[in-house]
Amino acid sequence: MLKNVIEKTYRWAQKNSLWVIHFNTGGCNGCDIEILDLLTPRYDVERLGIIAQGSPRHADVLLCTGPVTKQTRDGLWQIYTQMPSPKYVVAVGSCSNTGGVFNGSDTVLGGVDKLLPVDVYIPGCPCRPEAIINALLTLRERITSGDKI
Amino acid sequence: MQNRISIPIGPQHPLLKEPLSMMIDISGEKVLGGSMRLGYVHRGIERLAEQRNYIQNVLLIERVCGICSHVHTTTYCYAVEALLGIEIPPRAQYIRALMCELERIHSHLLWLGILAKHVGLETIFMHAWHDRESSLDIMEAISGGRVSHAANQIGGVSFNLDKAQAEMIRSTISNLRTQVEGLLNVIETEPALHARTQGVAPVSAEMIRQYCVVGPIARASGVDIDLRRDDPLPPYDQLEFKVITHADGDAWARTLVRAQETRESLNLCDTIMRDMPDGEVLVRAPRKVPPGEAIIRSEAPRGEVFYYLRSDGSENPARVKIRTPTLSALSMIPAQLAAIQVADIPVVLAGIDLCVACADR
Amino acid sequence: MTKFNLQSMIDKIEDATGTPGEVYDGINNDETIYIEPDQLVDVINILRDHFDCIHLTAITAQQREDQHDTIEVMYHFWKGRGITLLMKLPTSTPQLTSIIDFLPGADFYEREVAEMFGIHYTGREETPPLLLPDDWQNGPPFIGREENDAE
Repeated sequence: MLKNVIEKTYRWAQKNSLWVIHFNTGGCNGCDIEILDLLTPRYDVERLGIIAQGSPRHADVLLCTGPVTKQTRDGLWQIYTQMPSPKYVVAVGSCSNTGGVFNGSDTVLGGVDKLLPVDVYIPGCPCRPEAIINALLTLRERITSGDKI
Repeated sequence: MQNRISIPIGPQHPLLKEPLSMMIDISGEKVLGGSMRLGYVHRGIERLAEQRNYIQNVLLIERVCGICSHVHTTTYCYAVEALLGIEIPPRAQYIRALMCELERIHSHLLWLGILAKHVGLETIFMHAWHDRESSLDIMEAISGGRVSHAANQIGGVSFNLDKAQAEMIRSTISNLRTQVEGLLNVIETEPALHARTQGVAPVSAEMIRQYCVVGPIARASGVDIDLRRDDPLPPYDQLEFKVITHADGDAWARTLVRAQETRESLNLCDTIMRDMPDGEVLVRAPRKVPPGEAIIRSEAPRGEVFYYLRSDGSENPARVKIRTPTLSALSMIPAQLAAIQVADIPVVLAGIDLCVACADR
Repeated sequence: MTKFNLQSMIDKIEDATGTPGEVYDGINNDETIYIEPDQLVDVINILRDHFDCIHLTAITAQQREDQHDTIEVMYHFWKGRGITLLMKLPTSTPQLTSIIDFLPGADFYEREVAEMFGIHYTGREETPPLLLPDDWQNGPPFIGREENDAE
């Protein structure tokens, strides 16, 4: 009983204070500026408890854009391994879902899930800030329900 | 004598929106120099462009850079149209120019916010990005996209403007002008901003020439080049506008040039809307491009964009060469970093308005 | 901005190098002059000293489909209008003289063309890769692709 309450409180605290770190694995910047837009007054995700962090050690969610170029592969892996558990990965935009228009290029891996386990995929090229907010809300629901792959 | 140490920055860093790896050598609080590694955003676009046809390449080229996407497709489409020997209708030329100027406004306001954030003036960041949303609203209302617009097609543009949209554009530009003038007033009088940027990392006109730097950085050092005036694509040869230059070449001059260019772009948008001729916006273009080579240059928010396009008579281009303005600005960074203070590094990097996606392609 | 006079440029090049300047009119929108690869530095000096033309926009290299034994290299300058210097190098030993001593801005352009096409630059210490990833093993990506392409 006590364990249940503690777990519920823990999940409530976690979902209401998702700290994100953003890493661009070689994208064109379109999705990145839409992610930055979230912090600005029109979309304002800080009201949901989401703030952007500079250090992977402080972050819960990794927002990934870009098709993962071969040069950024190591950097992406290092950031992921430095994040403390439980951690979540959100693939923002068509490039990080499947490689987008760059699929087939000889310097591109073709999507974040070629390297990391992805929890939420956001389609769009670039995806709108509303879609990113929707994805983060979906993530919150999954945290509440305790569903973690 | 303090020891010399090297600080790595990147590829992931709060200062950088895009992956870029730099090694900065410092001794105490003084920066001695630095080096950098590009290639984190290299997606091989020039090679990919040879494997797709001219129409598919419009979508690919748009994603060279998300911030200046329209000017890339504009330049590419003009190059293909030069090879095809077709001229697009005047109304399409004006719509392309309108989107270019709206893109310049959104890019400069974006840059202003980033600079303010790095200097510690978070409020200006929030205001600039909030005002920037108006220009994105206009682009979305007319083209359907905020950041990637798919506005250009080979042969013209993909949408027309009706009376209601034209009225919406005029009133939004008018409101945005009030906001931008307010921001300009703050920038020109805010002592904290002056203190952080005046006299920081001055770049001489000779250094600009040696490093082949273009765009607002060159204009901030007194080098008077602007391809909209010097090598104009239509309809810029019929539009009147001022080219902003400042002579000091420091971070403050670079701030002023971009801020005042935003005002000029707003005026240009009004001029374009006033002078836009009626007519159609798209002509039919053949899929196969006759053999030939073409070079087109245009002025992106960051400077000169250059496309060399060669066709061998098939449906795919034989060679697409893209030169973007940030490549030369990046080559100048190690020279700029010498003899500044560590605390000035963000100001120098922000003043260059990096777009590594453009440089790496 | 004053535009340069193409004929006087060709005459000056001919005076300095002894080779009659040949205009190539295949490129839409830019004036283009054929030069020999070993004349590159002399011609750039003429452009700078007599025509104040030193803004190097780009260095383009390409291999034509029907000429696999040649790499074409173009140096694109601009002064009021574009002027392109066109050279042909043998694919087996493509070699050019570096100009970074007096034009440091050419450094990145030379490095990119060197890694993408295998061009060897003399007069500079090293030509480290610019854009290709650190673990790239496949040689210059623009050379020898036709055998691998499925088209």
